[in-house]
Amino acid sequence: MKNWKVHIIALVLVVVSEMIGIFKFSFGPGTIVLLPMLYALIIGIFTGPKFLKIVNEKDMKDAGSLITVTLLLLMARYGTLIGPSLPKIISAGPALILQEFGNVGTVLLGIPLAVLLGLKRESIGAAHSIAREPNVALISDVYGMDGPEGQGVMGVYISGTVFGTVFFGVLASFCAAYLPFHPYALAMASGVGSASMMTAGVGSLSTMYPDMQETLAAFGAASNMLSGLDGLYMSLWLALPISERLYSLCYKLKYGKNTEEAK
Amino acid sequence: MNFKNTLFVLIIISILSLVSNFIGYHTSIIESIPGMIILVIICLAGVALSKIIPLKIPSVAYIVLIGCMVTFPYFSFASTISTMVEKVNFLSLTTAILAYTGISIGKDLDAFAKSSWKIIFLSCFIFIGTYISSAIISQIILKLTNQI
Repeated sequence: MKNWKVHIIALVLVVVSEMIGIFKFSFGPGTIVLLPMLYALIIGIFTGPKFLKIVNEKDMKDAGSLITVTLLLLMARYGTLIGPSLPKIISAGPALILQEFGNVGTVLLGIPLAVLLGLKRESIGAAHSIAREPNVALISDVYGMDGPEGQGVMGVYISGTVFGTVFFGVLASFCAAYLPFHPYALAMASGVGSASMMTAGVGSLSTMYPDMQETLAAFGAASNMLSGLDGLYMSLWLALPISERLYSLCYKLKYGKNTEEAK
Repeated sequence: MNFKNTLFVLIIISILSLVSNFIGYHTSIIESIPGMIILVIICLAGVALSKIIPLKIPSVAYIVLIGCMVTFPYFSFASTISTMVEKVNFLSLTTAILAYTGISIGKDLDAFAKSSWKIIFLSCFIFIGTYISSAIISQIILKLTNQI
């Protein structure tokens, strides 16, 4: 807790990372974004015993035990981002609200694939949701960040942060061109709970259907706000319990025995 | 973690985030302090609620809810609170979090290195799963309600 060495190292990491600043590269219909948080993560890893040997086992353990609390502050800010747009969210139509259950599709596809890839309890963290900030905070609160579930959710979070906008930009174009969806449905689907991913998805659609631009943007933004609001609760009460069950089932199918009981 | 320790860690993270907010987003530290104090109070209230209320709901769920409520436009101090917390850039809070995460990952770097490519590969399918299933539901509802 009062491990000052860890706090000082973290402070140095923050200063260095912020000095490097944000880098953005245009790439297809989206942007590859490198944020200071990514540098802080990588340099942080390098302080470990495998590389620079600045921190020892105890320091690493102490740092891990703090992550859950650090995420609380982010979630307080997150709540205050959503509050002002609540009236607009409440007035959203039934299609917008029901498509939020699309999250369950993430689990149904993600968990079996994760187990197939040989991931163990990382699967729960990685595949229970699209892993934006509220999901990371939730996993951290429920399982702790220093376990396999934490690594899973963090891995998908980082992937999404780095190449999520490019991915959603391409995905939206592809679906609009080759799959029988109406652009409105795709615009709603673009609101996954990340403003930049939504913008990339809606951006691709707007280029293809310029006369629908305004409606597409409105649907995308409303759906995104909604995902921001319910994402956490949807994960907590729906996606996580389903993930746990599906994981046990897939584990049994693949390895022929029951999982070790979760704590 | 007890209440006193939680407060201590929150203060440390606040300080790191203020530094981050200053260097990365050029907002003066003094100007951002009131907003940061509000965020810390929201966190403490959420942690307290999760301890007092005998339901198995994690404190993050309360914290997001309180954050929403105090900035909900019909709440009397909403605009004052919004103006104050807006000084604290959302992304500036993430840098400190990932710094601690990075330090702690060294512990199981081998496991992390082994699973990371799998997780990156998996990420793509998770994005596709979310997108397509939301699109299918939207398509059906929009059809049923004659909007398309």
